[in-house]
Order: sequence, then C-alpha cells, then structure tokens
Amino acid sequence: MGMTLTEKILAQAAGKKEVSPGEIVTVEPTWVMSHDNSAYILKEFKKTGVEKVWNPEKIVIILDHVVPAASRDYANNHLSIRQFVNEQKIMNFWDINTGICHQVMAEKGYDVPGAVIVGADSHTTTPGAFGAFAAGIGRSEVAAIWATGKIWLRVPESYEILVNGEFPKGVFAKDLALHIVGDITASGAVYKAVEFKGETIKNMGIASRMVLTNLSAEMGAKNGIIEADEKTLKYLEGKARAEIKVMHPDEDAEYEKHFEYDASDLVPKVAFPHTVDNVYDIDKALEIPVNQIFLGTCTNGRVEDLEIAAKILKGKKVKDGVRMLVFPASWKVWREANKRGILNILAEAGAVIMNPGCGPCLGAHAGVLGDGEVCLSTANRNFKGRMGNPNAEIYLASPATAAASALKGYISDPREVL
Amino acid sequence: MKPRILKGRVWMVTDGNGNRIDNIDTDMIFHNKYLYITDIKEMGKYAFSNLEGWEDFPQKAKPGDILVVGRNFGAGSSRQQAVDCFIALGISLIIGESFGAIYKRNVINSGLPLIEAPGIFESGLKTGDVIEVNLETGEIFRNGKLIFRGKPMSSVALDIYDAGGIFEYGKRLENA
Repeated sequence: MGMTLTEKILAQAAGKKEVSPGEIVTVEPTWVMSHDNSAYILKEFKKTGVEKVWNPEKIVIILDHVVPAASRDYANNHLSIRQFVNEQKIMNFWDINTGICHQVMAEKGYDVPGAVIVGADSHTTTPGAFGAFAAGIGRSEVAAIWATGKIWLRVPESYEILVNGEFPKGVFAKDLALHIVGDITASGAVYKAVEFKGETIKNMGIASRMVLTNLSAEMGAKNGIIEADEKTLKYLEGKARAEIKVMHPDEDAEYEKHFEYDASDLVPKVAFPHTVDNVYDIDKALEIPVNQIFLGTCTNGRVEDLEIAAKILKGKKVKDGVRMLVFPASWKVWREANKRGILNILAEAGAVIMNPGCGPCLGAHAGVLGDGEVCLSTANRNFKGRMGNPNAEIYLASPATAAASALKGYISDPREVL
Repeated sequence: MKPRILKGRVWMVTDGNGNRIDNIDTDMIFHNKYLYITDIKEMGKYAFSNLEGWEDFPQKAKPGDILVVGRNFGAGSSRQQAVDCFIALGISLIIGESFGAIYKRNVINSGLPLIEAPGIFESGLKTGDVIEVNLETGEIFRNGKLIFRGKPMSSVALDIYDAGGIFEYGKRLENA
C-alpha cells in the first residue's frame, strides 16, 4: 500500500519500511524546540534526576513569548533558561534579539524536508511547509525528550487538501487558510495529518505556505505538510542545519478524506469572535469598528505581510483613535523591512513599530485589550480572552484586510484600496 | 498495575440549555492570566474559570469525579496547566467525544486516564450519575448495566497510566 508524505517521514524516522495510521512508533526527533516555557521544562527535567541532556545539539530554545521580560517573574524565567543553556552547553539557543520561534526555525535552517520536529508550542505545525513532519507537544514531553531523546507518536490518518486556481486581487493565503478552517471546522481534523497539494500551493512562496501549515493547528490537525520543491531547496541554500531528505507521497497513498478548493472563487475572509472556524466573507464584517490593529505573529509577520500593509498605507494615515501595532516576526524580517523602507512607511502612517516577538497574541503584554474593545488581528487565534481580556473581541484576517481597516477605523475590504 | 475499573460521579460539561459544549479551548479551561502559577496544587481553583457557567466548578468538584466533555476538548495552546488543574482537583478520568491532539497527549502523559467516546452525549448519561468505566475495554456501566462503549485506552497510554506519568514510564523503559 502506498504511503502519504507524513507516513513516509515517520517510517523513515522509525527505521521501518512501512507504517500505517494508528500505529505507534518511537522516534528520535531531528529537533526538539521550546520557548519561554523552557523555564518550566527545565524544572521538570531536573526532577527526572538525569544530569545531562541527551544531545545538546538537537535542543532548540528560542525566547519569543514575553520579550524583553515584562515583569520580575518573566525575567527570572529567562534567567533560569540562560543558566541552563550554559550548564548544558545547548548549541541552539536564540535570545530575545532573534524572533518568533516558528519564524526563527525557518530562517536559521532548522526546518528541512524529511525532518521530525516537535515543539512545546501548538503552532509547531508550521515547519510542515518545508516538507517536514512537525507537531506540537506538551512541556513534560519536551522534558522527557531532553532526558531520553525519544518520543512516541501515533501515525496520524492523512487528509488531502487540493487547491487549484489563482488568487483574485486582495485575496491571500490567510484568506484561503481561514476558508479551509471554517469549512473543516476547529475539530474537523483532530489528530489528522493535513497534506496540502495542487497548483495554488506550488505557486505559493514559502511565506504563504507557512500560513497554511501554521493554521493547520486551528482545525485540530496533528501536523500540516507540503511537499518540498525547488522553492524549498532554494530557501534552504547555505542554511540547512540538518540533512535534507526530500520525500514524496506515493501515487496510491491512502487519504482518509479529500477536500478540494478553487482559489479563484475566494474573497477576503474574516474569523469572528471567539473561534477560528467562525469564518465569513468580508461582506458580513464590513464597518465593524475597531480599536486596535495587530499586524504580526508567526502567522503573518513576515516581510511579504508587512509589505502589502505598507503598499496600502503608503502616504496615508491610520484612522484617528485606532492603534496599529506592528510586530515583525523576527529581527531578520525587521532588518529586511527596514532596509526596504517598509517600516518607515508604516511608522509615517502612524503605526507603532514594536520589537519582534509574539507581542499581545497570547495576552501577556505589549498591547493587551481593554474592556469592550475590538481588535482586528493577523494572528491565528481569537479565543475569548486570548489577548489578555475576556471582555474584548478579536477578529482575524489577512494583513491586507488589517491595513485597509486601519485606514478606515472599521473592518474594510482590501480590494477597495489595492 | 493500577485499577482498570474506575468508579466516580459524572460531570457532563454542557451549557445553560444542557447542550454539550464543543471546542472548549485551553484558555477557557485555564486562562492565560494564571500562567505564572507553577505549583500544580494551586491550579485547581482556576479550572474552567473562563468557561461561562462553570466558574464555580472547582468548589463543586470532588476527588474521584469523572469529567465528560464534547468534541475537540482542550483545543488550542499546548499549555499543560489545562490538564494539571483537573489533576489538582482530583478528577479521576476524562471521557470525551474527542480531544485536541496536544491536549490528549498531555492527559495521557500526565498519567490521567482518558477515554474517547464519540456519541457519549447521546447515551442518556447525566450529571450526578455514578458510573464504572473499564479502561481496557472502554465500557461504561451505570447501576451495573452497560450503557456505552467508548474506545479502549491504547497499550502505551495504559503503560504510562500504570507508571504514573511519562517520566516514570521513561525510567521503566530505560531499565527494561
């Protein structure tokens, strides 16, 4: 029987000829990643009584959630991580001047085809954009991997998501991703591997592919995955940190379900509060007043995202009374956007340019919402209270929709300003 | 080996109209404003504190109680506090229509038993019922009568449950 891309990677990692859905395999991950929560993980690791981590070269720690530290507690957490990194000689430590973990994993060349990547963050589905198996796990599991180098994984059933057609003007990967999440629902792909295929995916750049695998988590998927191609290899030129093993799904691979979408049919989409699958065409959201625009995150904080926003805001002003916060996904993105004048355009328009990191996405700092406020965000989650206040509302949309809405002060159609 | 049959009082996690609530995310179970807490014992009192109508659950729950939840329970972030808060309250078992993928692993790895039971909300089970659940077969009994068949726990999940969590399980593997 043929294997899907996910099955092929897991079979190879487990040293088996073949694996099938439901089977439990034990593998040594290529990378195990964690972020600020490493402070808790290292406490759990110390409780195991193991003195040395299994392999200091395979542990990646990236500080991004609350950077720089917003309080004494956060500062002490960061401090304990830096001490641990030194004690254990962990090679892949990236401090607060690097960026959001899922972006840094890509930029620094950890995300390579064929790799098995696990991380203590639910959006660790993101590296699937490079043809890797990548999934989020809990912090105890990360501590267990630090100690033993092993993780058990249940081989997931795969869904095939086929996308063909060209995006109309004003429609982007984020709109497609929201449309798919709305269609499949937040629980529709629980435990499943979702494999994205088709011309639209082939034609997408890496940044857009990462939007799809990032949002796979929001349909409950175990992992999202896209076959590597020449674009993937070009991106990784000179920076791959692990062996590149390009694999392809078999022609006769078995998928539990098939979904087909035509990108040319799409319009800009908005996810309404308080679930990511509460998705509607932009028509329904028009003229909802917003207090804050949040451009950034591991979903949409890349150069392409800032660029489209700058294109819309160039020479114009963010509406009075609206706060627009811009968080580039990494310092590499920040520098590139700065060099190209993008940050300056956004700042001239009245946006507040913040330092790379997760920002207010998870409600810890730097843009928490007030009671009754509404935020239009380019992030991946709009759960009640997600941005720190259960009495606030979060709408999700593309960077273009965010910029168009910043101009008007209410949710607006980007096709009218592009 | 730990007990294969667990007995406890049931909490059906429903809304004000008695309907099952799907997609309860980790922010509803354990809100991000409490993430600074690192002592598991302290986490119980915040369980469900951001789930409408369930804010007083920590006062009402008793050790040994069984939670019955809807689809995709524990969706969202990988935060383990959303499991630890139930352990702190002494919840003995979680039965669900389905679970968020990471949440399910976190429950199993913490040594808390979990039964997947798609359709359990149509079984007539009510809050306050006392049930017996066979972890190896997935069978659920009320007053000695079989009322529903959930999925059996996998052998790896039972091994971790027996060991008392992923760390103890890992040590047993090392010594095997």
